[in-house]
Amino acid sequence: MKQYLSAVSSLNVRNLIIIALMLIISWPNVTQAQGDGPRFYWKGLMGTNAVPVIGSSLSGNANPMDPSNTPIPGASFEATMATVGYAKMLPIFKRAALVSVIVPMGRISGDVSLGGLKYKSMARGYGDPMLQMGINIIGPKPIMNIPDMIRYQPKFSVDIIGSLAIPIGEYDNTTPINIGQNRWYGRIGAPIVWQLGAWVPGRRTTLEFLPAVWLMSDNNDFVGKKMHTEPMYQVEAHLTRDFMERLWGSLDVISYSGGKATIDGVEGSSLSNFGVGGTLGYQINENMQVNASYSSTINDNKPEDLKMDGFRITIIYGWHKLVEGMRRLKNE
Amino acid sequence: MKKNLLIASILSLTVMVVSGQTSQQPPGGKRPNIVIILADDMGYSDMGMFGSEIKTPNMDALALDGVRFTNFYTHASCSPSRSMLLSGVDSHLNGLGNMDEWTAPNQVGKPGYEGNLNLSVTTIPQLLKDAGYHTYMVGKWHMGKSPDKIPAARGFERDFSLLDGAGSYWDMTNFTALTPNSLYTEDGKYLTKLPKKYYATQTYTDKLISYIDADHRDGKPFFAYVSHQAPHDPYHLPRDWRDRHVGQYDYGWDMLRAQRLKRQKELGIVPDSTNLAERMWFVPEYSLLAPASRAVLGRKMELYAGLVENMDFHIGRLVQHLKDIGEYENTVFIVFGDNGAEGTDLAKMIGGTPGTRDYLYFASKWSQTDINAWGDPGSYVGYGAGWAQVSMTPFSQYKGWLGEGGIRNALIVSGPVNKRKKGSINNGLMSIADIMPTLLDIAGAEYPKNYKGKELPPMIGKSWLKVLSGEAESPRAKQDYLAWELFGNRAVRQGDWKLRWEFTPLGKSDWELYNLADDPNERKDLAAANPGKLKEMLALWDDYVKKNNVIIPSRSVFEGLYDQLPARFPVDPGYPPLINKRQYVPPKELMTNPKQ
Repeated sequence: MKQYLSAVSSLNVRNLIIIALMLIISWPNVTQAQGDGPRFYWKGLMGTNAVPVIGSSLSGNANPMDPSNTPIPGASFEATMATVGYAKMLPIFKRAALVSVIVPMGRISGDVSLGGLKYKSMARGYGDPMLQMGINIIGPKPIMNIPDMIRYQPKFSVDIIGSLAIPIGEYDNTTPINIGQNRWYGRIGAPIVWQLGAWVPGRRTTLEFLPAVWLMSDNNDFVGKKMHTEPMYQVEAHLTRDFMERLWGSLDVISYSGGKATIDGVEGSSLSNFGVGGTLGYQINENMQVNASYSSTINDNKPEDLKMDGFRITIIYGWHKLVEGMRRLKNE
Repeated sequence: MKKNLLIASILSLTVMVVSGQTSQQPPGGKRPNIVIILADDMGYSDMGMFGSEIKTPNMDALALDGVRFTNFYTHASCSPSRSMLLSGVDSHLNGLGNMDEWTAPNQVGKPGYEGNLNLSVTTIPQLLKDAGYHTYMVGKWHMGKSPDKIPAARGFERDFSLLDGAGSYWDMTNFTALTPNSLYTEDGKYLTKLPKKYYATQTYTDKLISYIDADHRDGKPFFAYVSHQAPHDPYHLPRDWRDRHVGQYDYGWDMLRAQRLKRQKELGIVPDSTNLAERMWFVPEYSLLAPASRAVLGRKMELYAGLVENMDFHIGRLVQHLKDIGEYENTVFIVFGDNGAEGTDLAKMIGGTPGTRDYLYFASKWSQTDINAWGDPGSYVGYGAGWAQVSMTPFSQYKGWLGEGGIRNALIVSGPVNKRKKGSINNGLMSIADIMPTLLDIAGAEYPKNYKGKELPPMIGKSWLKVLSGEAESPRAKQDYLAWELFGNRAVRQGDWKLRWEFTPLGKSDWELYNLADDPNERKDLAAANPGKLKEMLALWDDYVKKNNVIIPSRSVFEGLYDQLPARFPVDPGYPPLINKRQYVPPKELMTNPKQ
């Protein structure tokens, strides 16, 4: 039997282990200016756990921790952030679902002129933790086991996601430069993954969209003022393609609109901006994936336009008890 | 105009007289067209009307319109089978005494062992062409590559042929570093590239339809040899044919064999008393496999089923076209597989050893191993011994071997020559070598003693016309026998008895004797208990060797198999209990929590 099954164990199952863990890289992104990123809503083996570490460096004229991306003319922000979290894939109502929590941390510094006052300060510490839940509504059934994994292809899948940030992060009401936002905020979105061609590692191509709307409560103590922000509409689009079995890349576009902020009755401008960028991803081993991306806004010449660019490195460590058990047996 | 016709008639008559042929135009009108549909490595039970769950409505329709034969024998592998089909002469005389790929040192240079269809024989298309037929071939040839051995040189007016024994279905990629490219011919010329949008089964069908249409109006009947590459491995098939059985085979070969046998009994293919052959001892009991293994192995069968269904679809296109042009009713169809289903891993055999030249070649050309790439160019999937035994339900063994699973195949004959009840079943003892005399009878032609100045070896087949007309139940008399030798394995069948010699561990490297009426699965060796019958059958073997130039090979593909397969033990379902026994559940009333 051992001889007969050698092809199965050495050839296919090895690849499947990789795939099983590769497919869970879904992370709600705290640095919203960059969007969630490509291959964000691919599905994995139910029961898979993952821990991400996301490092990002951003600069621009809006607080990268502010979900509304409200630009402040003449402002200059620099942020060095890290985000850690935990996620688990599980079936809910016989559909694939992901629940996750992330906590941002790091430091932001900047020069801001607001209401005739100049602020030059730095914030550090923990940001608002964010909970997110997503559930697939159109697409293949959840991946419950390895046979399902073998047969999985996203084809055309649509999820519904909901995110909610809890305003317990570091906040200083004497400065507009903060990591915590001092208000509830969250989003509702409908990520779409559209498989183009074969679903073969090394040849996978997808077109992905994420239309979402961000909703924010008022911040009643924004440097002593009240800040109201209208809903902000965000659409991400990604054309992703495998270069090799473990290496892939993506062209990323993101658009922002709406999100007009009013501070003590003084209205700002609505967003109408685009960002473009690219991502490279590499599967290091059965457990670990690393992605690197860069994005920058375009059409951002006017002072009120959002200007933002940033690098992001994401390392994800994933595991599943079945896969770990197989590995232990293999190593005996 | 009239003068030209007269000259043409005189010339035709002259050609026929010179070649020793006569054709008989039946009083009813045009002689029937003949279509041979040969499926490469398709197993005995793979068609719906022979018990399969694979959907083959078009082949089934031919079966229901004709007769199914349950005791039809081919040879154990492709080129020997094909050589006997087209020549009507035993493989040891026609050049395929061994496959070209496995010619043994003591056979090299010996007549009958050229590794191609030698020039001492003539062929069905040659004789039918002489008898006034158009002759077409599409698909796999595998009987010679030199200009004097290709289809156009062996009697086919039109052809689109793969000269090799197998290869990619999508392009010209072949299997070894020294033979990296498949060779194709079209109308006698070697192709430098394949047509656009090439896919073997579809292109073969398209080509044949175009040949038929080109000559349709001239009033001559045609003979078409549709030698499909499908379902030979690698299982290459279009994406929309790959997912028609997803998950269906996860329950495995043991249950599927039982299901097919049940259907075969319901259909009347096998007697109610038939049991399944023993599962090959090195094939695992499917219920012991993990779900992942079941799914991966099951996927191979899913692809095989899709490949057979795709082939059936294109057969349906051909049949429909013949109906559309009004030729179906006047066409004889002969449908069968060329040998047992393939249970050997050819890819592993060629490219499975790291550090070898062919391993490197496979790495560059055949390394699309991801399960979702299976079926694409560059992927190589064969389904292995477990599923091959399913294809050969209820028999033992598979392609290459002389157990019933290696040589017995399903046969369908339909068309105007059949006077038996439509959809009926016949159990007469038939041979692939019978097709030559049968077709000559249908065409009103004769097998000449000499052809183009050469004396022809005798045909070994028997015409089926009396069977098809209902005058006989078998083309063979009691004393007639069939015999085989390939790769050193040997067998003889006479009546219900079968004598067999096979390499260990599938055989005993000694003579075995079986009564197929009682034991079609060759489980009970009667050699020791029946020395008289053994002696009788050995005499037939000696007769066969003497009459057919049989040279037992000094080397064989199977010579080291005893060292490669695990030790052979009987296959007893449920053994050992250690891994088969379920959890014991005590009576509920006796169960309790521990005392603290």
